[in-house]
Amino acid sequence: MLLWIVMAVLTAAASLAVLIPLGRQPHAPAHAGAARSIYRDQLDELVRDRERGLIGDAEADAARIEISRRLLNSDSGAAAEAPAPPPAYRIERLVALVLLPLLACGIYLYVGSPQLADRPAVNRAAEPTAQGNVDDLIAKVESHLAANPEDGRGWEVLSPIYMRLGRFDDAVRALGNAKRLLGSTAERESLYGEALTRASGNVVTEEARAAFDRALKFDPDDVRSRFFLAMALGQAGQKDDAIAAWKALIASAPADAPWLAAAQAELAQFQPTSTVTAAAPTAGPVAPGPTASDIAAAAQQSPAERQQMIEGMVSGLAARLDADPKDTTGWERLFRAYMVLGKPDEARAALLRARASLAEKPELLAVVEQAARDIGIGKD
Amino acid sequence: MTRKQRRLTLISLAGVVLASAVGLVLFALSDGITFFTSPSDVLAKPPSVDQRVRLGGLVERGSIVKEADGVVRFAVTDGKATVPARYVGILPDLFREGQGVVAEGKVDGSGLFVADTVLAKHDETYMPKEVVDALKKSGEWRPEDGDGPAPQTVQR
Amino acid sequence: MIVEIGHYALVLALVLALAGGTLPFWGALRGDNRLMAVASTTSVAQFLFVAVSFAALTYAYVVSDFSVQNVVENSHSLKPLLYKISGVWGNHEGSMLLWVLILVLFGALVAVFSENLPLKLKALVLAVQSWISAAFLFFILIASNPFLRLDPAPLQGHDLNPLLQDVGLAIHPPLLYLGYVGCSISFAFAIAALIDGRIDAAWARWVRPWTLTAWCFLTLGIAMGSYWAYYELGWGGWWFWDPVENASFMPWLAATALLHSAIVMEKREALKIWTILLAILTFSLSLLGTFLVRSGVLTSVHAFATDPTRGIFILCILCVFIGGAFSLFAARAGQLSQGGLFAPISREGALVLNNLLLTAACATVLVGTLYPLALEALTGEKISVGAPFFDMTFGPMMVPLLIAVPFGPLLAWKRGDIVAAGQRLLFAFGAAMAVVILGLALMGTPSALALFGVALAVWLMVGALSEIAFRIKLGRVSPAESWRRGAGLPRSAWGTMVAHFGVGVTVLGIVGSTAWNSETIVTLKPGEAVTIGSRTLTMDGFVPISGGTYTGTGVRFTVRQGGNVVATMEPEKRLYTVPNTPTTEAAINTFGFSQLYVSLGDISADGSTVVRVYWKTLIALIWLGALVMTAGGMLSLSDRRLRVGAPKPARRPVAVPAE
Repeated sequence: MLLWIVMAVLTAAASLAVLIPLGRQPHAPAHAGAARSIYRDQLDELVRDRERGLIGDAEADAARIEISRRLLNSDSGAAAEAPAPPPAYRIERLVALVLLPLLACGIYLYVGSPQLADRPAVNRAAEPTAQGNVDDLIAKVESHLAANPEDGRGWEVLSPIYMRLGRFDDAVRALGNAKRLLGSTAERESLYGEALTRASGNVVTEEARAAFDRALKFDPDDVRSRFFLAMALGQAGQKDDAIAAWKALIASAPADAPWLAAAQAELAQFQPTSTVTAAAPTAGPVAPGPTASDIAAAAQQSPAERQQMIEGMVSGLAARLDADPKDTTGWERLFRAYMVLGKPDEARAALLRARASLAEKPELLAVVEQAARDIGIGKD
Repeated sequence: MTRKQRRLTLISLAGVVLASAVGLVLFALSDGITFFTSPSDVLAKPPSVDQRVRLGGLVERGSIVKEADGVVRFAVTDGKATVPARYVGILPDLFREGQGVVAEGKVDGSGLFVADTVLAKHDETYMPKEVVDALKKSGEWRPEDGDGPAPQTVQR
Repeated sequence: MIVEIGHYALVLALVLALAGGTLPFWGALRGDNRLMAVASTTSVAQFLFVAVSFAALTYAYVVSDFSVQNVVENSHSLKPLLYKISGVWGNHEGSMLLWVLILVLFGALVAVFSENLPLKLKALVLAVQSWISAAFLFFILIASNPFLRLDPAPLQGHDLNPLLQDVGLAIHPPLLYLGYVGCSISFAFAIAALIDGRIDAAWARWVRPWTLTAWCFLTLGIAMGSYWAYYELGWGGWWFWDPVENASFMPWLAATALLHSAIVMEKREALKIWTILLAILTFSLSLLGTFLVRSGVLTSVHAFATDPTRGIFILCILCVFIGGAFSLFAARAGQLSQGGLFAPISREGALVLNNLLLTAACATVLVGTLYPLALEALTGEKISVGAPFFDMTFGPMMVPLLIAVPFGPLLAWKRGDIVAAGQRLLFAFGAAMAVVILGLALMGTPSALALFGVALAVWLMVGALSEIAFRIKLGRVSPAESWRRGAGLPRSAWGTMVAHFGVGVTVLGIVGSTAWNSETIVTLKPGEAVTIGSRTLTMDGFVPISGGTYTGTGVRFTVRQGGNVVATMEPEKRLYTVPNTPTTEAAINTFGFSQLYVSLGDISADGSTVVRVYWKTLIALIWLGALVMTAGGMLSLSDRRLRVGAPKPARRPVAVPAE
């Protein structure tokens, strides 16, 4: 309502800007007067220039005559304007009172959005993001992390989302921070290496290889690291070593490993006549792990689809924890994810489920409770 | 001097200034401009050793070699042809492998492009217009490619 | 609500601009004073409404209202307040709004401060001004509206290009726009005069302060932009002949010419048609600059969004205004009355030479800027016209002009005595020659071009001083008498001297930094040192830095000269987090008028860093000279006779006719 009142006031002011001068006789300096004063200035200046020797005698005389002639002419130019009685200005007043507001309202209703209120950022931190898109979620986490850059868990939660969206440089940064703050593990190192690899266009760089090597020190069976190191051998042109690495990797794989087909395809590149039946050739190297298949697609997904994808990841985690409640880090990650998604109620519900399923294991529950308190949900 | 003579002097003065301006421009246009080429063009018909050209394309992956004292070797590619380049100096912040680049300099006798100026994109999504056109010409333009040249130009 | 009020105020400004463009025009044709007076009130109201609108957009930026698309695209809630505000005009839509704000500001200033302007002329001037603002307001509302909303609103913005996150950007565009858009006033005056059919000395006197104001801002804006590119881009260059730089430089050249021809017109009523033509040209070049920068025809750091419809829209505005102005000029120019007579060697003649050279130089820049575009459009061939072209064309055009500058103010009106003027400049000539001989003696055989450049700069500076010395009869009468004479000189005379002196200062800076520039690129590890000239830079080590939206590494250098520590410098490598962009911040230290410039390349894992060090002799004089020129302009502006068209009160009250 206030908006319409202010708009009405502004419109009235605009109309008045046209109406006021119509009703009042303006003060009108005549052109001739102004011109004459300038010609007198010129004559004065001529005298000064003459004194300083800036103009010769003959020229000064010629100039004086020139200026005087113009001075005389300027008088004749000023025709006395008889003050005629002002006309009624019917059309003009109509323009100011009707056409002007109508035009303004018309254009505004065409381009404006009067139904939308201001949304200053200060008031929006607590706003639920249920219907928001994935960019909002990321923005929330990013601004949280900008304020608390030492929150390693936050970086860790964010990194797979960056990977899914194809923001590999950001994923490298996030994983680097997570590694620094939470310490190296096989998984963090190998994910870091994967992010580096993807950031440089699926080339296993020196830095990435170092990360995979570190990961293998923690866990010699880390599949992701072995996968990419095999790829690195291939890229470095060490064909025989690459074949051996791929064969070893495939041999150790469970039959239903999601990355098996990709590994076989890689191997097939080196051994066109290999006895291993090549799986359907894939366009590019496909990595193992949860971020395997749809990274490229993620970037082109609509916000709604991305949102769905993230919610899918979260509900998958929830389902896994319900089946296997002993994973305390999993619970912590789930709480955090719900908080980040702007669903604190869901987080609390998850805590209640954790309490129920971990009732016989107080030592694990204590860890989960501690995590919940840290995140800010376990107060009740 | 009569009025006519004065006017004539003025007009001839204007003529002299104009003529010299036109002469200078024509002279400079034959000498002081730089043609834009793509790596394919350079290989097809190499420019003469003393002709400055602008070479546009993508920095070939894995081609950047940094040597002592700011000497950088890299290769510019348009997907069809690749030209090795050498530059001394500080590269732009966004000079990266696989990204668009415009290098200005001369091609020496051995086919090495000696750049004295290197321009890279100015932000994440910017691609020099000449590079976009060159890539389109060589069929390397893949706007849908996630890490390839981005389709949109500067949005800021 | 505030955002929508701003949006509506913008619409009202458009409607008022339409009213202010038609009603007073109609009034001027009918000789109706009241209708003509509508021009003033609508002009002031337009300014108020656009100001409300601009304030509303600024508010949206300050509170990070991400329901506004423009804010989302160009801001971020964590950005420092200063850059939130400068973000308002750091993008296409916002900068166009600023453009129009300044346009209507000038309109309002004319409406308020030109009480002595004849009503008809004032009405016509403001009507033309209103048409320009109507065209651009329409463009903003239809094709680049900064008030478009998003629903649902995102929670975070996309930040600003870190390259543009800089104090320089906060000041540079507004200054440049004040200059660009200020040229619209002389354009409006020229069109009004053509419609009115009356152009005389009074007209020139009314136009001059506005042109001078615009020129001062343009000078400052270009100098700022040049300095910004110098320290921000990290290449150590201060002028790149980039098309966008040319776009601001061409109006400056034309405005400089206009400034000088308006003097002839005011003092001697000569060069009328030429002055009108220059006024039209100057604003046309400003519009062309706006078109080139905003349409995305050019790709450069300054090109914001490149949207073809916008380009075509601005091109249409350009064609209508420039085409219309030139048609009107062609139809009316013949009817303008002839001006005063003068001999080729005279003050008038010198100013004509100035105008010829400036416009010819401006034309070469125009050719260099447009030729690549035209060639690509016609033949598809791509070329780039860079520094070599401009060095070959613009340089030679400037040399005779600069040589002639000291003569101008010493020549008499109507018919001058070049021998006498030369005699008065003997001292300046001697000083220039002394520098040449000193240079030869001290530095052996430096480049002839550099020596000539320095001599030219000295010639300009001492020449400007000689003129004043002659006028106040320095040394020929007692100092007290000289002082009296100096105080009695009109301020515009002092302004001329200061501005011409500034040209010399800038020339000295350009020559010095080009001829005695040394640079070196080395790879350093902490503890190692590099020597440039008489100074040694030791790399002390790395300093982590962080500043809100970025983190990074600084490298600390200690500068020693003759064993003494004279400065510490800390160039930086920054990494902005949103968007993830690395930037380099050069470190600059000024010694006298010369500067040491350190910029960083890659930092390797083992701490060895590529470092580029420049020594730029006298480079600070380039921008200092521009400041001096601006000071000269402002000094002239403060001359009472020029003050916004106020006629000087007559000294002899007897002669004042009743008005």
